[in-house]
Amino acid sequence: MSHPNGRVLTSRPVPAQAGIGLRFPHPEAVSATRTRVAFLEVHAENYFGGGVTRRCLERVRRDYPLSVHGVGLSLGSAEPLSAAHLARLAELVRAIDPALVSEHLSWSISGATYLADLLPLPMTEEALEVVCRHVERAQEVLGRRILLENPSAYVRFEHSPIPEWEFLAAVAARTGCRLLCDINNVFVTAHNLGGDPNQYVDALAPALIEEIHLAGHAQRTCPQGRSILIDHHGSAVDPAVWALYQRALRRWGAKPTLIEWDTDLPPLSVLVQEAHTAERYLAHAAGAARADAA
Amino acid sequence: MPTLPELQRSFARALCGRETTALGLVDSMPARLEIYANTRRATLTQALALTFPAVRALVGAPFFDAMAWAFAATTPPASAYLNDYGARLPRFLRRYEPAASLIYLADVARLEWAVSRACHAPDAPRWDPRELSALDPGDLSGVIFIAHPSVATLRLAYPADRIWRAVLEQDEAAMRAIDLAAGPVHVLVERDPEDQVRVCRLLPSAWQFTRRLLAGQPLFQALAPAAESAAATLGEHLAAGRFIGCRPDRDRGDPSP
Repeated sequence: MSHPNGRVLTSRPVPAQAGIGLRFPHPEAVSATRTRVAFLEVHAENYFGGGVTRRCLERVRRDYPLSVHGVGLSLGSAEPLSAAHLARLAELVRAIDPALVSEHLSWSISGATYLADLLPLPMTEEALEVVCRHVERAQEVLGRRILLENPSAYVRFEHSPIPEWEFLAAVAARTGCRLLCDINNVFVTAHNLGGDPNQYVDALAPALIEEIHLAGHAQRTCPQGRSILIDHHGSAVDPAVWALYQRALRRWGAKPTLIEWDTDLPPLSVLVQEAHTAERYLAHAAGAARADAA
Repeated sequence: MPTLPELQRSFARALCGRETTALGLVDSMPARLEIYANTRRATLTQALALTFPAVRALVGAPFFDAMAWAFAATTPPASAYLNDYGARLPRFLRRYEPAASLIYLADVARLEWAVSRACHAPDAPRWDPRELSALDPGDLSGVIFIAHPSVATLRLAYPADRIWRAVLEQDEAAMRAIDLAAGPVHVLVERDPEDQVRVCRLLPSAWQFTRRLLAGQPLFQALAPAAESAAATLGEHLAAGRFIGCRPDRDRGDPSP
């Protein structure tokens, strides 16, 4: 890809190691200290404009493999995708040429109003058709394959006959997209709606998984006394989620793994510490795979 | 069984507080829908706080959050590009009764919106004014300049530029020195070629001329009402890289391409 200063950038692949979500105000510290992480991921919508934020992204892009994670395309909306939003995403992807581009199995727009959260879909044939149509359209405009991420959920639909892992596999089979499995979301959703997180992890085909997300959640108690887990991305990864992650690595082998932290952002060193914990499990998984092959 | 469009419209209404529950849910207890509603509220008020930091500092965080939420309830964003959200907040503030005593607040918001637009405007290659020499000499007086997408002009009834700066720099002395009765100010907001956002005052005549140029008026027409100082103003704009191109005025019936 040609660049304003004449340099040619080639997209560096994201390795099967650990990275961190890059959030304000960390970009400067990351650039200044060359933080030891394998890759960085940014929220697409924060970088749609030009100016200093785009320059900052171009800088980190030179030093790290990069993943662009969209939160607002609303692939699950019954109404058509926003052409303007998709065009902005396409411009960013063209300019930055990230190694990975991902979005969510959710919706956030209804009646041309953005509802500012990743909302749950009923797992039905009707929703599957909508999501496939939108993933195909997005991949066509972006000119590349995207990863689709499983969301966290707090409410369940009465009619939702397809297990989420089957739904995701069907979207991948029909559109050629791949999956981003958020292990924390698997755990949170299973806890909130009832379900076995191990079964979920075991059911996903390893070849479809191109990235893993890990994040912290919070526990709240509903008025009815039942505990509910909130996917707040505001704390360290829970021990039970680390355990589920290790199970996933045993099943899938080592995969690029991202630590997400969005609220009550701690110092950069805390995120890096979490990434290094993931790195130890990844090294173990890679070692086990080599031993199996020998 | 409700269709997906029906489910989503109903869910959206519940999320916006227009219905107590949503269609088709097993766990439709308010406590659970509230988790989504809380995230929505936090995300939107936070987005507005990032775009309007001086307004927030002037009214305090709790007042700002309540005001931002009142605005979001009537004017929700259309897209997840939240740097692009808040264009109508200044107008909302003009009619927002609890802030009526801060007569300059809407002007500060207008300035902050222009600053935010300048900060996030798309990149556009700067232009070398020597390219003017490529124009047919007969086209020069009818030339139309194309401004960088970050450039905007504002006429503010109060010295909102000084208030904005004093608030963000926490400069108490500058704040005390502000004279609200000093009359309107005319400003230009831009992102310069080094990507720094700048707010500068212009004389009213230079501002009027600049505004006409930015509106796409051909040079001779922009000059007509007040030509004094226009040459110097145009020179400043060209030197500061505020234009990204120019074209001859097609409406003058000039057949040349």
